[in-house]
Amino acid sequence: MELLPQALMDGILLGGIYITIAIAFSLTYGVMHIIDFAVGEWIMFGAFAGYYLNKWTGLDPFLLLPFVFLIFALIGYLIQPVIHRVLSGNKGNPLLMGLVFTFGLAIMFQGIALTVFGFYSNSTPSVFSEGSFFIEKFGFFLTISSIRLAGLIYALAITAALHYLLKKTNFGLGVRALALNRDSAGLMGVNGKQTASLVYGLYVGVSAMTGVLIGCILSVSAQMGTEYTIFAFFVVVLAGMGYLAGVPWAALLLGMVQSIFLIYFNPGHTLLAVFAILYIILLISPRGLFGRGV
Amino acid sequence: MKKRLLCTLALFTSFMVATPLYAANEAVFKVGVVTELSGSLATVGNVTKRGYDLWAQEVNAKGGIEIKGKKYQVKLYYADAQSNPASGASAAERLITQEHVDFILGPYSSGVTIAVAPVVEKYKVPMITGSAESPLIWSNKFLYTFGTVPPINFTGATPIKTLSELKPAPKTAVILGSNDTFSKASAEAFKTAAEAAKIKVLKFNIVPAGQDLTPLLSAVRVLKPDLIAFGGHDEELIKLVKSLRQIDYTPKALLMHYGVTEPAFVEALGKDANQVFGASVWTNSAKTKSKILWPTAASYDAASMKAFNTPADYTQAGSSAAGIAFQVALQKIGATPGMSEAKRTELIKALEQVNIDTFYGKVKFATTGEYYHANVGMTPLTIQIQNGKTVIVGPKNSQEAAPQYPFTPWKNR
Repeated sequence: MELLPQALMDGILLGGIYITIAIAFSLTYGVMHIIDFAVGEWIMFGAFAGYYLNKWTGLDPFLLLPFVFLIFALIGYLIQPVIHRVLSGNKGNPLLMGLVFTFGLAIMFQGIALTVFGFYSNSTPSVFSEGSFFIEKFGFFLTISSIRLAGLIYALAITAALHYLLKKTNFGLGVRALALNRDSAGLMGVNGKQTASLVYGLYVGVSAMTGVLIGCILSVSAQMGTEYTIFAFFVVVLAGMGYLAGVPWAALLLGMVQSIFLIYFNPGHTLLAVFAILYIILLISPRGLFGRGV
Repeated sequence: MKKRLLCTLALFTSFMVATPLYAANEAVFKVGVVTELSGSLATVGNVTKRGYDLWAQEVNAKGGIEIKGKKYQVKLYYADAQSNPASGASAAERLITQEHVDFILGPYSSGVTIAVAPVVEKYKVPMITGSAESPLIWSNKFLYTFGTVPPINFTGATPIKTLSELKPAPKTAVILGSNDTFSKASAEAFKTAAEAAKIKVLKFNIVPAGQDLTPLLSAVRVLKPDLIAFGGHDEELIKLVKSLRQIDYTPKALLMHYGVTEPAFVEALGKDANQVFGASVWTNSAKTKSKILWPTAASYDAASMKAFNTPADYTQAGSSAAGIAFQVALQKIGATPGMSEAKRTELIKALEQVNIDTFYGKVKFATTGEYYHANVGMTPLTIQIQNGKTVIVGPKNSQEAAPQYPFTPWKNR
């Protein structure tokens, strides 16, 4: 019982990391209807960008976030037309082609990363890595690591920024219209191709920033991507495919389940519990936690 | 017409190129290598690759393996196990049935080795792994599988014993192991040794591979164990140290295996890697003497620096030693490339009789008991990272420096 506050806090902090992994992934699905299996690889490339930029410039990774975002958003913006071409082809099943294409991208990116960055695991230092708060009162214990707290704040800031962008700007209106009905949005003057490119750029940029953060909290390696693709997929399916507002809750639920299992139950069964919960929820509500997914 | 001419030319050229290659292949030993070149264990899989490559380079630089006055070069045929046992097994099958390799240098991980072992058993092709440490491999008593690194239940007790001799000795421990064949065996070996050394084990958990363990460590912090021991692989070790750093818990001693001796561990963690204890059977300062390829551990390390600009650790050294063991056994039976099944069976007998001093230490495979076909010629060592270098701190007769104990708090580093 004395560990309950710790379990809850760790769940929230882990959830924060999962929010950052999944939120932009969910947005891309909502708009482009593409399940991007390369999400983990964008995170991995971002982590390496943070690692090398920190090594070369000596700047704290948190200060590098805007720069990393800009570079990767540009890359995403330029790559999207290629994906669009695969998705809008009139032969075969475009959705399936999109899946296969991004799966292929993911494997290619892993290979490139192994060749270019080598097979070593690295770690990005940050000023936030060193501190933590430890509270011990009334028989309860609570440890909060500064860098994980910074990660949670970043996750909430990204969620708020995306919320603002989607709900309060003309661009956001266009994105939502496009997500609802591509043809009608086009007839109303929304430039479908450009909006999709911008959204994909936004997604790649945010994923890369998440990578920088993960490099500080956990580690950086060419093989790291697959794990995060699985978690992103988990969160987005649990939230309801393309239902952005569900992502933070699904991410927090995932973090909480992991944390509670690691502390109170057999830690070896953590992933079993996580996927059992996903299975049961989807059995009851196939469109995600809130029944609002596509 | 032009197209036809081009096609004919292309065919002719490929024939001209392929013919001498094919002819050359007849005189070389085809050595299959199944190891983890991609996937979650790529870092450490590539450590074994460095060891195998260095052996092959050195043998070929000396003209090849001398058999009855004639020298035969070696050629390595790599197959990626993708850090996945099933892929490892099919990779081994492909090497044997399509490439017709003479023998196999085995995987990094115990999980993949256990999957490959039945395949080499089926086709009767000898394999030596230069890395795998799980006792499960040896308790299965595979006839065609050998290993140069002793099993973890042979080596794991030594660091615990070294720690129990320190003052004040750790009284309590939390022992964790990642959920894979090798890491579980490491954690179990640590637990058995801790209980034997009267260290109270407060918590023993097998944890999901590769996951963030911070919540679990936050709970461990409340138990205030003197010793945290962890069985896992390189990236998991880095994550664990970072998690402890983030929650700011410093036990009196932190023992981890495998990955502490791997140069990437120090590179990734910097000063936080200092004072971490590990298990090993070899370091580049080991006092070994040999007449085969490299005369000393230091000369092997220098060769590694020259070839890869990376110092060697015991896994890399064990991998090169696997090549040496094959080399010696081949010479003993006078085998030539393209060995028959009978000759390969003869090679097994020769490997069982191997008793050689190498730069890596003594290689001698057990022929009976729980360590069947594992190398039992080595002395287990306790190592510690001191100022970024791997130093032997136990047992006392091998000690290079006194253990730094207790752990300096993270904040004072």
